[in-house]
Amino acid sequence: MTAFPAPSAPGLSRRALLRGGLAGAGLLTLAACRSAADTASAPAGDAASPRRGGVLTVGAGVDFTPALLFAQSANTLVQRLVFNTLTRYDDKLQPQPELATSWQVAPDGASVTLKLRDDVLFHSGRKFTADDVVFAVKNLQNPVRSAQLRSTAAAVTDFRKNGDFELTLVLAHPVSNIFDLFEFMIIPDSASVEEAFTGTKLIGTGPYTFTDRKPGSSITFARNEKYWNPGRPYLDGVEVRIVPQADSLLASLKTGQTHLSYSIRGKDVATLKSDPQFRITSYDTGAGAYYIGANLTGEHVSDKRVRQAIAWAVDRDRLVQQALGGYGTVSSTPWPKSSPAFSEASATRYHHDPEKARQLLKEAGLTGITLPFAHSNDPGNTAIAQILQYDLKQVGIETVLQPTDSPTMQKQLISQTMPALWTLSHGFAQLHPATLAVSAYPFNEAKNSSRFSSPAYTEIVQKAWKRPDSDSPEAKALYQQITDVLLDEQFVIDLAIAGLTEVAGSKVRGATLNKFGYLNLDDAYLTA
Amino acid sequence: MRTFLLKRLPSGLLVLLLASFLVFLILRLIPGDPATTLAGPDAGPQAVAAIRAQLGLDEPLVGQYLTWIGNLLSGDLGPSYAIGGQVSDLIGNGISATVQLTLGALLLVVLLALPLGVLGATARRRPVAAAVHAFTTAVLAVPPFVTGVLLVLLFAVTLGLLPAGGHESFLDAPDLALQYLLMPAVCLALPSAAVLARYLKDGIERALAEDYVRTATAVGVSRRRIVWLHALPNALPSAVTVLGLQVGHLVAGAVLVERIFAWPGLGQLIEQGVIRRDYPVVQDLLLLIVAVYVAVQLLTDLAYAWLDPRIRWE
Repeated sequence: MTAFPAPSAPGLSRRALLRGGLAGAGLLTLAACRSAADTASAPAGDAASPRRGGVLTVGAGVDFTPALLFAQSANTLVQRLVFNTLTRYDDKLQPQPELATSWQVAPDGASVTLKLRDDVLFHSGRKFTADDVVFAVKNLQNPVRSAQLRSTAAAVTDFRKNGDFELTLVLAHPVSNIFDLFEFMIIPDSASVEEAFTGTKLIGTGPYTFTDRKPGSSITFARNEKYWNPGRPYLDGVEVRIVPQADSLLASLKTGQTHLSYSIRGKDVATLKSDPQFRITSYDTGAGAYYIGANLTGEHVSDKRVRQAIAWAVDRDRLVQQALGGYGTVSSTPWPKSSPAFSEASATRYHHDPEKARQLLKEAGLTGITLPFAHSNDPGNTAIAQILQYDLKQVGIETVLQPTDSPTMQKQLISQTMPALWTLSHGFAQLHPATLAVSAYPFNEAKNSSRFSSPAYTEIVQKAWKRPDSDSPEAKALYQQITDVLLDEQFVIDLAIAGLTEVAGSKVRGATLNKFGYLNLDDAYLTA
Repeated sequence: MRTFLLKRLPSGLLVLLLASFLVFLILRLIPGDPATTLAGPDAGPQAVAAIRAQLGLDEPLVGQYLTWIGNLLSGDLGPSYAIGGQVSDLIGNGISATVQLTLGALLLVVLLALPLGVLGATARRRPVAAAVHAFTTAVLAVPPFVTGVLLVLLFAVTLGLLPAGGHESFLDAPDLALQYLLMPAVCLALPSAAVLARYLKDGIERALAEDYVRTATAVGVSRRRIVWLHALPNALPSAVTVLGLQVGHLVAGAVLVERIFAWPGLGQLIEQGVIRRDYPVVQDLLLLIVAVYVAVQLLTDLAYAWLDPRIRWE
């Protein structure tokens, strides 16, 4: 494991002094030899221009799970280091070239023709061709791969190759979120995909080659010297260190052992805001949103008025300030501001109005009800559940908190056996809006944990999804209709939108995330 | 000695067999399962069923148990479901880190407990004995995760003397490895050292009240000689038993300490295995820990028998 520098200048003299003082007390041998807290690994040079060299250490709260390589999960930091995608979105959700240099959607939306780079090599030395795109799509169609955008991948029914570097994807119907798939779908090496799936060998076309993995501890990468992007990457290597304990991760950043992290809790980020040692960047894509889910077969919550009462009862502002350290935006819809479905009026439809909540409960003929309320048993989610519990109590809804561990909750979500209420976060609203309703489980029109189903909702969602365009006024009108159903039915009670927050040591430059949280370090470098 | 060992062995094996059965059953009883965990939050029942079949979880429980034990006896620990790779490799990698941590902590336990125990029992001035008592009480009362956070705040964040967390192999870089080891080992060792120190103190005090001590004192043997050459050896057998039990506590405590210091040992592996319902990893590891307990207990009994001949003649 590589060791990294401790914070510089201000502490030096004191540290030197203390070292001298403690030398006689038995720490002499430690201080006299190399220091694990002081070993630097940054290249020489100034901050003005990108520099080659150095190993970047990224602190992650969750270990890499190879079986979720093709899914979006908490460990998607690794994907874009080893692999590439066909296209990548810019800030305005417009696709930009990556392995595909250009694309043409047929006027009827029933096919997409892609032109591919002809100068790309896999880390094994094999040339990347159109066959690899065909393999990648089929790979996501495999149910064992657990990929969230499977419904979009499954809409690809045929492939027409025109040489090694051009192919047409034939679609069962127009698909408005096809570029979400191109941003999501990593292109793996077909020869080693099973080894990739078990985490023993990761071979892609990306900027870094996989060198070593110590489960529970670290995963390391070295520069791909034959990367197709000339002069990139700048870094010699990357080490993703697994530090599951939030306080330890914070300490690791403060001591300079870790350069960069996206796993710092909102309230901890708030404590680093005034520290010049760190640069904090919020990704306003809104990749995550906090919500209360309601099981429509549960007692009382089957009544729409009760769900609406809950939506009025919660104090979203307090939640964002106290539980998320201010890193979030209150909202009663799932859409972040960058989404074509976003509207200010919808986002602020529900706000804190306990009186209105009591009125709705009274109309439903209910006073003093008690509901079970599940939440993840980690400290962050427990705090959120407790804040919500207090708010609901003020309007006469007692809740019995059910702290639940992640695998149990996942099983209950999939098997639709959640209690009457639960709180969790969801993703996928940062993309084209149809993706949310066909791929994010809480909103899925065909099957969701709330057991909500409505022919009208299904019809609007399918219409929005099966369009060749995603930004036209007609498309936006459909998104508004989806939003109206969500606001009225409240089977998912949205609370706040929160994106990933980057905490970077002052030496780190140029790290970015894509819409799915894949870490892109093509242009990243370490200053002196 | 051999007869003594042969008498103890069958009970150890029985414990292992029962433990294997319990470990297997308890894992199946906790909610959630590997297939839904691996399927991800947006999977449908088809995907979950496909993964369950792939992992062999659709077989009857008895069949699953017998397959596991059969493979184990033939030396095959099987593949990990979620973490990836073979369980034997994962345990192999984790074991050296945990052994480093546990041995480091064990050494500190002995180094701390011996002087504390002797000082506690022999201090002529009340404040010294009271200070030793207060120290051991405080160390026992503060849980390791608090000690760990305090150590990190002081030595890593404030003083910048030691790394906040991580691990380095002793074979690759012993000087760095020692610095990575110091805080987790201290954190892990303190409660066990306090327990052992108290046992030693009581043992020495009991020995010092014996008639032979009075006789020795009467004939002019120095107090230091009496304490170190007579009282301490008499207090050692029971302290060794306690030390043996503390090895188990150290292994168990490592789960927490490894988490605080991002130490990639077996504790981290068990935690990851439980979180992801990675049955093979958790089953094999828990059984291994039981085996370590049984072996340590056996060794403790042997050491006890060696130190006190009355035991092996029973």
